[in-house]
Amino acid sequence: MPPVTEIIIAAVMIVGTFFVAVASIGLLRLPDVFCRMHAVSKAGTLGVSLLILGPVLFFFTSEWGMALRGLLAIGFQFLTTPAATHLLSRAAYVTDYPLTERTAVDELEQFLDSVPDEVVGQE
Amino acid sequence: MSTFLETISMCCLAVLMVSGLLCLYRVIIGPNAADRAIAFDTLATVFIGIICMLCIAWASTLYFDAVWILTLVGFLGTASIARYLEKGRVF
Repeated sequence: MPPVTEIIIAAVMIVGTFFVAVASIGLLRLPDVFCRMHAVSKAGTLGVSLLILGPVLFFFTSEWGMALRGLLAIGFQFLTTPAATHLLSRAAYVTDYPLTERTAVDELEQFLDSVPDEVVGQE
Repeated sequence: MSTFLETISMCCLAVLMVSGLLCLYRVIIGPNAADRAIAFDTLATVFIGIICMLCIAWASTLYFDAVWILTLVGFLGTASIARYLEKGRVF
């Protein structure tokens, strides 16, 4: 493998690890479930895409079938992670999870009513 | 005797393991269910990263299918937890 490719793979791996580490630090430090989702869904998606891109570049010349599967995994990650975190934050808002005390404005309040307690579990 | 990429991937592996421990701490102390769900989602992300680093360190594609599968299963887990929180049932 030429040294330029090795340096590119190493750079991709280091940047991806940095983004995943930032996501987990944000998960630990931010005050609110919505703030934590903000950190995880942005940094986590980009970080894991770069981390999968490392083996894709590494195996691209030797085993291109595996590299194709890695590209497919990146595509799925970009499709599914924002949808999953959006669903989870909507569920958290609707079921009245507490916002942090430092929340300045809650613009969603007039559009999305919280579910009354008796509706949950029926339908 | 280790190549350049092996060294780099082992360093990244150490950082990813510390990130996984941080996520596990949030899973333990998380005040409510949505915190734990989002922490488990991040933990799946960290596991995907660890598998990729091991693929490069061992120069083997033996475990690379697990990346593909963890991507899909992680989405299904988070989506079903969200639906359970919102509607009180999964299906």
